[in-house]
Amino acid sequence: MFSRSLWILPALPALGVLVNGLLGTSWRERRIAVVASGSVGLALAAAVGFLAELLSRPPGERRIAVRLYRWLSEGPLAVDVGFLLDPLSMAMVLVVLFLGFLIHLYSADYMRGDPGFRRYFVCLNLFVFFMLVLVLADNLVVTFAGWEGVGLCSYLLIGFHHERKSACDAGRKAFVVNRIGDFGFLLGILLAAGAFGTVRYGGIAAVLEADPSFSAAVAAAVALLLFVGAVGKSAQFPLHVWLPDAMEGPTPVSALIHAATMVNAGVYLLCRISPLLEKAPAVLPVIAAVGLATALYAALSALGQRDIKRVLAYSTVSQIGYMFVAVGCGLYSAGMFHLVAHGIFKGLLFLAAGAVIHALGGEQDLGRMGGLGKELPAVSLPFLAGILALAGVFPFAGFFSKDAILWGSLGRYGAAFWLAGFAGAVLTALYSAKLLSAFAGREGYPGPLHRPGPVLTMPLAVLGACALLAGAGGLPLFAKDTFFARFLDMPAGVHGAGGPALETALAAGQLIVIVAVLFAATRRFARSRKTPSPALLADGFGIDRIYGLLFVRPLAALARFSFASVERRVVDGAVNGLGALSMALGRASARFQSGLVRRYAASLAAGAFALVGLGLYFSGGF
Amino acid sequence: MSLMAVVFTGILLFAVGAAGFVLRGNALVLLLCIEIMLNAVNLVLAGFSRYLYGTEGQVFIFVIMAAGAAAAAVGLAVVAALRRRLGTADMNRINVLKG
Repeated sequence: MFSRSLWILPALPALGVLVNGLLGTSWRERRIAVVASGSVGLALAAAVGFLAELLSRPPGERRIAVRLYRWLSEGPLAVDVGFLLDPLSMAMVLVVLFLGFLIHLYSADYMRGDPGFRRYFVCLNLFVFFMLVLVLADNLVVTFAGWEGVGLCSYLLIGFHHERKSACDAGRKAFVVNRIGDFGFLLGILLAAGAFGTVRYGGIAAVLEADPSFSAAVAAAVALLLFVGAVGKSAQFPLHVWLPDAMEGPTPVSALIHAATMVNAGVYLLCRISPLLEKAPAVLPVIAAVGLATALYAALSALGQRDIKRVLAYSTVSQIGYMFVAVGCGLYSAGMFHLVAHGIFKGLLFLAAGAVIHALGGEQDLGRMGGLGKELPAVSLPFLAGILALAGVFPFAGFFSKDAILWGSLGRYGAAFWLAGFAGAVLTALYSAKLLSAFAGREGYPGPLHRPGPVLTMPLAVLGACALLAGAGGLPLFAKDTFFARFLDMPAGVHGAGGPALETALAAGQLIVIVAVLFAATRRFARSRKTPSPALLADGFGIDRIYGLLFVRPLAALARFSFASVERRVVDGAVNGLGALSMALGRASARFQSGLVRRYAASLAAGAFALVGLGLYFSGGF
Repeated sequence: MSLMAVVFTGILLFAVGAAGFVLRGNALVLLLCIEIMLNAVNLVLAGFSRYLYGTEGQVFIFVIMAAGAAAAAVGLAVVAALRRRLGTADMNRINVLKG
């Protein structure tokens, strides 16, 4: 009975959108914030109820499927709007709603006094709605609808401060780059519909299971196309360029959309189509390679940034790269575990960064921060927890998830791959140290500090505790079926080649190196705050400039050309020509209205004569 | 007197009235021309009435005469008002109907 009402999860945030959007025009900020946060909070409560329902069932039967209505049917293909809640989507739903709720609360204080307060919360609620549709969808088409919806909300919120040109440009960039990935996604859906005759995840898995001789090439093609979509949405190389610029949006938006939830949708999608990936083993190395390249590249770029939010953005790109590595190793549950852990600690880091920026009156330059640890203890302690989780220090969540990924990559792709992944982890520790240096050492900011209130710091404290405790999902340590993996119940990949002794030794070695690097680098960064970073790293290896040269400039030139010739001459010419023609016709016929009565009478008589004459002529009277 | 003679006289009278209406400029003359056209119609009605031994035509003549008299009364008032307002009764110079 309870399980039938799965639609309530997305319906609640949608209700928040409608109430705030239609009724809230003249409401005070407080009421708008209460409605927006309340709708997400209620959805979170419902989600916890569903979790209890799932956990009360035996492991193999933990799925709630609801078909709402038939959306479209064409020939043999039918698309239903249907929701599916299984452990995989349950994990995502909890991440989305838990972080969404905390970030709504945080935003209520952070956005106070902003003229776009209501618009902000409407967009944020709309985002949560679309994200839930994406996550709960039981077929590719409905997922795609949610996928595009979150892209729209991302665009709207990146460009939230639309009076700034850079914000509008960043929003557009995010939208356009995502279009490239979405094109792949769309082709993948079409190919899947053609090849499998269904777009339902369950249906695709059933076709693959029933027909062991199903063409691996077709499965690989579908998987690759969907992977292109995932690369765009999850900001993986080479489509990562939009995410660092997306930091133009308000910081809570960066925390929710561009760190914790939307950008992880690609990983979620790949986990969703895991039966397909298992059928096309040739695709897995591609995914792993793209993930590893992104992880290393973004970690290096993060080192070169001065802006605290851009460091975090590149860090997000890098960490999602690790999730792709996990998926590419066939370790779906490890990837999802890293997704959950990363969502928590990166959301935390962004919120803490927002509190710092708020405290420093808009300052985002790491070079001008320092000694904040003593000044803002309510921010710095959760921040420290987030950094330790990000760097992967025991016993924080990141340690468990990253260790599982690295160990899995050693088993699947060998020592060289593992070494590269480990190098990425060391780089992670380096840029984590750079972030941490804002809180260490001498004071760097001259002005007065605005201390954050309890509404800002409460979510930080909650998330800080979660960053510490979420690691428990990775227990028991070094085991194939951790708590989280057992809950997810996904096919486990081939695991480690060596024994548990090797794994323990490796993990301990990694931990020692990471802690040493983190400690040493923090001291070093805190001492020499002003040292400039290499230009190559600072602009992300010039990828933006290469794209500008290869794509943006030629397209802009083409646009200018067609504006000058086609638009101005042909289109405008035709429109203006039509206007001129009717003007001339009007002027000619206006001459008949002379205002002279006798001329009217004459034309009346002439007309009468003509009519009578014609009538007589055709009736044969003459 | 044959019917044809009556009809042709009527046509001639109507043509004179119509031509006068189109060609002349003075508003009073235009009213007179309208009367001429009305009476041309009356003449034809009377002729047909006699030819067909009926009385309906003659009844219509009275109706038209009454309508014509009313039209003339209104027309004269219009002409007087035009003259007072625009200072002329020359229809060549009055084009207030022009939009």
